[in-house]
Amino acid sequence: MPKPSIAERLDQGIEAMLGFGSPPSPADVQVQELLRIAAELRALPRKEFKENLKADLQRSSQMPTTTVSFIREGFHTVTPYLVVKGAAEVLEFARQAFGARELLRVKRPDGGITHAEFRVGDSIIEIGDANEQFAPIPCAIHLKVEDVDAVYERAIRAGATSLFPLADQEYGERAGGVKDSAGNHWYIGSPLGETHFLPDQRSVTPYMQVEGAPRCIDFLKRAFQAEEVMRHQTADGIVRYAKIRIGDSVLEMGEAHEPFPAMPLNLHLYVPDTDAVYRQAVAAGATSLREPVDEPYGDRSGGVRDPFGNTWWIATHIKDVQF
Amino acid sequence: MGWHFPGEHVEGSKEADERLLVEAAQVDPARFADLYESHFERVYAFIAGRVCNRAEAEDLTAEVFRQALQNLGRYEWRGVPFAAWLLRIAANAMADRWQRLAREGEAPPELPDEAAREDIERRALLFQLLGTLAPDQQRVLVARFVEDKSIRDIGQELGRSEGAVKQLQFRALQNLRARIRRIHPTPKPNAAGGRRAHA
Repeated sequence: MPKPSIAERLDQGIEAMLGFGSPPSPADVQVQELLRIAAELRALPRKEFKENLKADLQRSSQMPTTTVSFIREGFHTVTPYLVVKGAAEVLEFARQAFGARELLRVKRPDGGITHAEFRVGDSIIEIGDANEQFAPIPCAIHLKVEDVDAVYERAIRAGATSLFPLADQEYGERAGGVKDSAGNHWYIGSPLGETHFLPDQRSVTPYMQVEGAPRCIDFLKRAFQAEEVMRHQTADGIVRYAKIRIGDSVLEMGEAHEPFPAMPLNLHLYVPDTDAVYRQAVAAGATSLREPVDEPYGDRSGGVRDPFGNTWWIATHIKDVQF
Repeated sequence: MGWHFPGEHVEGSKEADERLLVEAAQVDPARFADLYESHFERVYAFIAGRVCNRAEAEDLTAEVFRQALQNLGRYEWRGVPFAAWLLRIAANAMADRWQRLAREGEAPPELPDEAAREDIERRALLFQLLGTLAPDQQRVLVARFVEDKSIRDIGQELGRSEGAVKQLQFRALQNLRARIRRIHPTPKPNAAGGRRAHA
C-alpha cells in the first residue's frame, strides 16, 4: 500500500487535533511543524470581528466630546411621524383643533413639506408629505386633553369626520374619535373617575392597531426592551387593549377589528445606541429599511419595518444642529 | 526603558512613527484607527493565549480597545511602547474578569515575560500573514479552523474534490510557515503555554 501523501497525513493530524481520528507519527517532522501552525490558527478571531470592532471604535471616536443627550431636546423616546398627502392641511387642522404649535417646517421647492414638527400639549409630533420614496402612513393617535367636549367640537369644525361620538367610557375616560383629511385617526379623551391613563402618560400616545397583538408585544419586548404595563385580553386570547412602555414613552395597542382595521404606525424611536437596537430589532424579526447612518441633522438613524407593518426610525442624537 | 517587542527597540524610526500616530490620535480620535490596525493582532494574540474560548477573547479584545480609545489622552510616551500600554490594559481587563467570575484555583493573567512576548509576537504575525495568502487558501484555513467545517463541506462550498481541498490546506499552511520564517526566523512555538481560544 503506497504511503499517503503529505497533504493526507497533514489532514489526518488536523482531524486528530480537532478531536477526530488518531494523531500522526511524531516522527513525521514536516507534518508536526505544520500542525503547530494549524493549532495556533484555532485561536483566530471570526473573520468579521476585526472590521466590526473597527467600525464601532470609529463611531465612538466621532462622538462629540461634549455630552449631548441621546434624545433630541424636547423629544421623548417615541414620537409619531405622520407621512401624509397634504401635510400643510394636517398642520393647520392640528392648530385649529388641538392648539398645535408649529416648531419647525422644512419646505420642498414645490411648496410641499419635507419635514415639520409641532407640539400638542407636552408632546411633539413629526410630519412630512408623502413622496415616491415614502408612501402615506396615516397613524392613530390617542390625545389626552383637559376638555374633550371642546376639543372634539373644534376638530369637527376644523374639517374632521367623526369616527365615534363623544361618550363616557367605563374604562375611565370620556372620549370621541375623529379622522382628519389625510386619514389619521385622533382618539380624543379626558380622564374620568378611576381612569386607565397612567400618571406619567403624556398628551400624545401612539395607538397601534395590529393583527396579532400578543406576538407584536413579544416582538416589542425583544426588539426594544418594551415593558408590558397593562393587557385586557378576552378568554380566546384577543387583546382588546394593552399599554406598552418603551423608555420614557407609552404606546397603546389593540387587536385590529371592524370598523378599525390594522393601522400600522410610523414611529421615531430614540435609543442610546442605534446600531445595537437596529441589530436587535432585525434579530427579533424586523426587516431592514436602511442601515444606520449619521444624518446631517445630528442624529444617527436607521430604519426597520416590524412583522406587523409598523415602521421604526431608530435614532441616537449625536450632536445639536441649528436648523 | 520599558520592555519591548522583539525588533522594536532597534528601529528608532518605527518608534518615532508610532509616537506620531499616538499624538495624532490624541488630538483627533478618528486617527485611532491607525493604531488599531497596527496592534489588533498583538492584543488579540495575547488574550487568545489565555482565555478558553473565542467569544471571550473577542469580548476582551473589544473591551481593551474601547478603554484605550477612552483613555488615550492619559497615555504618555516616556519610552514605554504603545503596545506595552495596550497589553497592560488587557492584563487588567482579564484580571478583572477573573475576579468577577471568581475562577478558583486559576492564577489571573499577568503581563507576559520575554519568552511569552516572543510567542505573542509570532502568533500576531501569523494572524496578519493569513491575510497575505491567496483568497482560496485563506478561505480554507478560516473555514477549517475558525468555522470548524469538514473537508467535505469546504469542498462543496468551493466546488472542489476533497483531495484538492486537502492539497489547498497543505499549501496554505506551507506558505504561512515559509512567510513566518522569512520575517521571524527563530520560531518558539508554544512558549507561553496556557490555554487557547478555539471554542
